[in-house]
Amino acid sequence: MSSEEIIDPTVQHDASIQRVLLHMVLPFVLIIMTVVAIAWVGISSYRTTSEGVSVLTRELMEATQHYIGQEVGDYIAPSAAGNLIAAGMIEHAPPQVSDKVFYSYGSIMLQKIPQLQSFYLADDQGNFTLITRSPDKDVQDHVRLVTQPGGAKVLHHVLFNTAGQQVRQYDAPAGDYDPRVRPWYKNTAGKDTIQWTQPYLFPTDKQFVMTSSLRFRRDDGHEMVFATNISLNELSAFLDKIKIGKSGSAMIVDGEGRVIAGRNLTQHAEAAGWDPDKMVLDPKIYPVFALGYDHYRVRGFGPKHVEWDSRSYITMASALPRYSQGWILLIAAPENDFGSFAHQSSRQSLQFAGIVTVFSLLLGGLYIRQLRRTEAGNRRLAVQQSQVAQESGALQQVAVAPHLFDPAADALVLTEQLAQVAGARRASLWRFLHDGAAMVCDDTYDRTQNTHSGGFEMGREELGKFFDAIEEGSSFSVSNAATDERTTRFERLVMREVSTRALAVYPVHGPHGTLGMLALEDPVMLPHLLYFVELMASIAGTRFAAQDALEAQQKPATDSKTSAPVAVTGTPLSDNLLMRADEMAEVTGASIYPSVAVLVVSFSDPVVEGNKETTALIALINQLATQVQSVAQEEHLFAVEVAGHRMICMAGCTTEPDPTALVRLANAALKMRETFMGALAAADLEPVFTMGMDFGPAFGGAVGQTPTVFNLWGQTVSLAELMAESAIDPGTIQVTERVYASLRDRYLFRSRGSFFVPHLGLGRAYTLAARR
Amino acid sequence: MDMYASGPLLELNKAIPSFDESGLPPVPFSMKLMPGDCMVVEARDIGHATMFADLCCGLVPLEDGSVRFMGLDWADLGDRELNALRGRIGRVTHRASWPEFVPVHLAIVLQQLHHTTRPIDVLVHDAARLAERFGLPGLPTQNPSFLPEEDLLRASCVRAFLGRPHLLLLEDPLESGPAELSNSFLAAITEARDRGAGVIWLVRNNAVWQEYRQGVTATWRLADDGLVAVRMG
Repeated sequence: MSSEEIIDPTVQHDASIQRVLLHMVLPFVLIIMTVVAIAWVGISSYRTTSEGVSVLTRELMEATQHYIGQEVGDYIAPSAAGNLIAAGMIEHAPPQVSDKVFYSYGSIMLQKIPQLQSFYLADDQGNFTLITRSPDKDVQDHVRLVTQPGGAKVLHHVLFNTAGQQVRQYDAPAGDYDPRVRPWYKNTAGKDTIQWTQPYLFPTDKQFVMTSSLRFRRDDGHEMVFATNISLNELSAFLDKIKIGKSGSAMIVDGEGRVIAGRNLTQHAEAAGWDPDKMVLDPKIYPVFALGYDHYRVRGFGPKHVEWDSRSYITMASALPRYSQGWILLIAAPENDFGSFAHQSSRQSLQFAGIVTVFSLLLGGLYIRQLRRTEAGNRRLAVQQSQVAQESGALQQVAVAPHLFDPAADALVLTEQLAQVAGARRASLWRFLHDGAAMVCDDTYDRTQNTHSGGFEMGREELGKFFDAIEEGSSFSVSNAATDERTTRFERLVMREVSTRALAVYPVHGPHGTLGMLALEDPVMLPHLLYFVELMASIAGTRFAAQDALEAQQKPATDSKTSAPVAVTGTPLSDNLLMRADEMAEVTGASIYPSVAVLVVSFSDPVVEGNKETTALIALINQLATQVQSVAQEEHLFAVEVAGHRMICMAGCTTEPDPTALVRLANAALKMRETFMGALAAADLEPVFTMGMDFGPAFGGAVGQTPTVFNLWGQTVSLAELMAESAIDPGTIQVTERVYASLRDRYLFRSRGSFFVPHLGLGRAYTLAARR
Repeated sequence: MDMYASGPLLELNKAIPSFDESGLPPVPFSMKLMPGDCMVVEARDIGHATMFADLCCGLVPLEDGSVRFMGLDWADLGDRELNALRGRIGRVTHRASWPEFVPVHLAIVLQQLHHTTRPIDVLVHDAARLAERFGLPGLPTQNPSFLPEEDLLRASCVRAFLGRPHLLLLEDPLESGPAELSNSFLAAITEARDRGAGVIWLVRNNAVWQEYRQGVTATWRLADDGLVAVRMG
């Protein structure tokens, strides 16, 4: 591929797709597959764990429920079972000792079982006895309803300590108290099983109490009711203490939804105004329990999943065992309490997945990097192979070049191949002269122009540091020769004309030191060069050494010749001026002429095939030349110069502007054209000439020693030549815009268009047709 | 541009052009053009000559066979590569090929600006040098309709030879061009061949290329039965 082409058509697009697939898509797909596999494993693991956690949670809840049911049963059992035992003991005891049996039983039970609050014994005659705890610690209060002689009823209190010693006694008015109208008495009517009252507040010690009562018939035929008060505060305390998961709790409600026992029962009672009937499950206070209770009422017993405040809870409703009057045990616990380890496990799985993903990405990145490096290596290898092939080919070209080591013959192939292989703009060979005092360019090849040049000389005085750097013997390269002190002068003298920047210098070594150097300007391929330049330097070294030897042999011979002075040949018989004005004799040195009119007549190269034709042609040329002389003298031109197949006519070569010069030259041009056309037509020839004119400043003068020759240079001459060379048709006079601007009032012109010329800019070209 | 030396520069291998698309006879076209070769193809019909040049550029669909340029089959390349490869071809066409909305100097360097990274000043310098060589006073800067036909032909030559193309498909500019164009045209062809470019010179009659007879490698005639080799006596 040319280094200047944007797209290399030899690189197939399919290869790019393959590379993209291999480098980007494949690793990406692999990473995605890895991540998907990890995610799938994680989800499966999470599901399995979640299911296990669910089963385990249910089993745990059921176990907790059994435990609480057992505990509640055990809590209530002394009350219910105690009724049966006490009733049996009193039923068969003689009436005179029944009180003693009652107190003995009650005293023992109150001492041993903390949740029991008091015992009642009443009969159908209105007798009533009570044993309960006194507000004083470890003191029991034995109470009996006594009707005083006046008919007033009093409650006779006798207080005993734990040792059974009477502490004190007193009476308290009982008003019209009749045990037979109390709920605990009445609800046993006609029943022989244990009956429970609704919970109620025991006002003395703010205990929530329930009463279980049992009716029985004594041996003397009287019906009696034995009742036991049991505190629910202790049950609530128990439920408060019990741990279900981390933050779960339990509650007992009755069939109507009233709270029997549970956490914060006292506060709940207080909020309900100490009215048990109002102590229902309030969704505001117990939202999760309320949801659980609703689920129970709709779907029955069993574990349920409920959501509250974006959290998942498990609630379980179950029936409590015997004696419990249809009470329901509600358990509620956050799902996280049981499934937290599953979440933990999931989080860990996610972290592991993240780590594996990161590693996968790293591996993918490394894979892509490695692929790219491999490809870059392959590319470098390909470039190197290509370079080897190119260098081998170039070497072959050099090897077959004739007289390669003959210093008398040019070896242009060296610089050509060097420039090609190194991709350099220019390659040049320089040789030391005069024991290193100067360096001469043997050959310079410009790759873009495909031209060779040489013969330039540089002195050590001008480029001392550059010479020193070469004589050190090591090759060096600089990316900007203008800024490196070793090469800055070389850049100014040699490189600036073609605007090159980078320079690589390879000293050329001979048997007795450095013989010269090999310079590469803007060498694009320099980093890839292997051996070629060194080899070329060696060949150049051999040539330089041979040339030095040759010059050494020639020197004595040259010295032996006496340098004869240049003979002045005197005034030439003729020079290249076909016509000269008298003013030319006054021209001695160079001058600048502000308004010179220049006419260039360019003839095509004639084709002649025999002596006869040649003779006729020369006669014709002579005729034309004579006519030109005549016209030039008529129009008072300054000079007419003949150079090969061109004639340069000039007018106005004066230091002061000559306003008539251009008009005279235009007249001359028209006359010459007419004369040429006529002469060529007479000779049966096509018009084989073109003419170009320009008008402007030029500089010129007499140059050389005797004989001096007048010469004219400058842009005006160049443009006139350009106009002549590029005239649209044979026999036409093409002029510049300056000529047109000056003569348009006097002559007729045809426009050819506008054209751009580097270094001259934009301008228009016209064809001079005739006089107006 | 580096010389291509890995086989035929252009190879038509039993390429049967689509008649509907080109109007060329749907018969197999076979030929090889080596680097440095100059092949003259006589075509009486100007339209056929242009279509044959299009066929060589991969612009004509094939019913069978292949056309390979620099070892690459036009049919196997993607659009980017196709366009880039066509950037290596210089053409002079009989068909009007100057966009009216673009000045001629820009139209000349446009192809190189599009396909290469060469600086514009270098391109302009090269183009101006070629313009002078082909007889123009500089690089024409006006729109094509303002230029004389002969100058447009000269500009076509400048455009074709700019950028050192590998292949030159030249629909004879000498036939209708100025006589003095001949020398510079033949010199440019010779120089291009010297650096390894292949030249296909499409002419209408024999007289045009006789001056260059010794430089021509092969002569073909584009007839109704395809490409027919013409013996060079």
